[in-house]
Amino acid sequence: MNASGKSKTIRLPLLGDMAVSFGRTLLGILMGLVASGILIAISGANPFTAYGALLRGALGSRYAISNVLVRASPLLLGGIGVALGIKSGLWNIGMEGYMYLGAIGASVVGVFDLGLPSFIHIPLCFLFAMAFAAVWGAIPGYLKAYRGVNEVTCTIMLSYVAIYLTNWVVSAFPPIAEIGAFYPMSKKFADSALLPILMRGSSLHAGPFIGVLLCLIFYFILNYTPFGYQTKLLGSNPHAAHYAGVDARKQMVKIMVLGAIIGGFSGAIEVMGLNRRVYMDFVTNVGYESVAVALLAGGNPIGVIASALFFAALKAGGATMSIETGVSSSMNSIIIALCMLFVIGVGVADGRRQQKIVDNSKDDESESKELETAKGEV
Amino acid sequence: MFSIIVDWLQAALRWAAPLIVVSFGEVFAERSGVINMGIEGIMLFGALVGVAASYYLDSLLLAVLLTILVGAVLGLAVAYLTVSRRANQVVTGLMINMVSLGATDMIFAMMSETRQNRATTFPTIFPASMHDIPVIGPLFFSQPVSTWIAFILPFIAAYILYKTRWGLNVRAVGDNPKASATAGLSVIGIKYQTVILSGIFACLGGCVLSLAEVGYFSAGGMAAGRGFIVMAACVVGGWDPVRTALICLIFGAADSAQLRIQTVSSTIPYQFLQMLPYVVTIVALTIMVKHSLVPKTWGAAYDPKDV
Repeated sequence: MNASGKSKTIRLPLLGDMAVSFGRTLLGILMGLVASGILIAISGANPFTAYGALLRGALGSRYAISNVLVRASPLLLGGIGVALGIKSGLWNIGMEGYMYLGAIGASVVGVFDLGLPSFIHIPLCFLFAMAFAAVWGAIPGYLKAYRGVNEVTCTIMLSYVAIYLTNWVVSAFPPIAEIGAFYPMSKKFADSALLPILMRGSSLHAGPFIGVLLCLIFYFILNYTPFGYQTKLLGSNPHAAHYAGVDARKQMVKIMVLGAIIGGFSGAIEVMGLNRRVYMDFVTNVGYESVAVALLAGGNPIGVIASALFFAALKAGGATMSIETGVSSSMNSIIIALCMLFVIGVGVADGRRQQKIVDNSKDDESESKELETAKGEV
Repeated sequence: MFSIIVDWLQAALRWAAPLIVVSFGEVFAERSGVINMGIEGIMLFGALVGVAASYYLDSLLLAVLLTILVGAVLGLAVAYLTVSRRANQVVTGLMINMVSLGATDMIFAMMSETRQNRATTFPTIFPASMHDIPVIGPLFFSQPVSTWIAFILPFIAAYILYKTRWGLNVRAVGDNPKASATAGLSVIGIKYQTVILSGIFACLGGCVLSLAEVGYFSAGGMAAGRGFIVMAACVVGGWDPVRTALICLIFGAADSAQLRIQTVSSTIPYQFLQMLPYVVTIVALTIMVKHSLVPKTWGAAYDPKDV
């Protein structure tokens, strides 16, 4: 009881602390933008023109904004998946792999004209996508919970496996692959399996709105349900969770699988809403970007909405920037990562609070030691 | 068939070399309690700097020196964030990887010459006549100098870690930072040293990756998860330099096996062969881990004010 009470005070900073941590985050982002600006200047473009192009590309028109929303979809869903993991002390960073598996799952039923109406065909695709990804996520979940395998390495290795699996499915697996295409890709999805476009002339689909909705739902789940309480307890104090009767191992598997399901769903949305086919590498870097989104949000689902939109704006604007000023398109991910590095660089206080909890827990008896190894690094 | 096996073993040694070089530094960093997850990205920088310096400056020595410099700077960045600022080590590493992935692609895009032209690679040290000796010729004498150095490194590392005062300090800091500080060691200082060391050797490993044989850099993540594979090797090898190197050799063998099988067999789709190193890594992590060997403050931040 004492332990859980202690963790409560630690997890709810005072209002002043929150202001400081928010200010620090802004400062970090600002420093990241300045550092990226210097890089842009080194690469031979005027950083002010470049950032101007970025702003216009992100917010300049209705189409720019719809573009931002489309790009926000995988970030919102990936971000919430990683955030759930962070809340429970797990690094579920295989979002890229889950998205690929989801895309394969969706294509298994999506590329065929089954004669189904859209309102059945689309959910069927989602169901397959989520089932495929769930199985994929169960692997690191089981290995982490019952075999003590570090989930960071495991999920990243599995993402590579998923990439090659997708590569095979779309280039050599006859029922799905478009054999003889100029680039490895699947057949086109049946019309009844495509997500409707919400704005004429753009590629805006329902994905970002589903993403926002899911963030709100998970905010509710985390804060107002027993499942959410157990998840947070496991993350903030595994010992308190143990004494409160939480089955840590089961909870870990559940969280990993849940994250994977969200990732698979996100992959299905990408291929059914945006690409209309499964291309060989239809997402890149999403694994890292999802981590950045979840971190900037501090693992808070509402924060995920804000940070996903922010990064999506950076990415969409970055594309315009690289077209207009010739800055390399990799600048996007550099800006995002630099911002995050500065944010974690200036934001020491929170990290220290979390660390102290772990230190306390180390003094406990052997049962907790075992949990500690299962939990891995924090 | 026999020649294929010799060929495979030769490639296994060559592919294991970069992993072993990277593991040299990572073992020390993790022994001192810091997991440097940025080695994946730092390897990319090493691969790029190696190719660029070798091509533009036309000197392998300068290439290696520049690689060391870049690795030290990146290692310093990781050390500052994880040790001084006590930032989360997973987060720091992942973001370093993301920056490196973008930055190396960006820099590579500006060096169009190295796309078509091959940079000078590491030379072999034995005369060409010795390469034809059956079995040991191709296996050992045809290897570039980097492979030879890579296979000596683990023994040097083991000596430093177990027989020198500094090695003892590193282990003490990782297992019990408070006692080490009480005994008068600079915990922060030693952690800085090991993390910078891991940065340097990760960068050198990247350089070996690009300059041992191919002489090219390729955009889009040339390291292909090898940094994470080295981290897995440290865990499986129980943070012992020699055992970790042996595990790296197994991963190198898996890496080269997939390339060899691709050339002789077309029944298995090559994508499944490409999965091999990653699957082997997961399997090794699952069945070969001994939890008793974990450095006691592995992955935890050290706060000098904590009592």
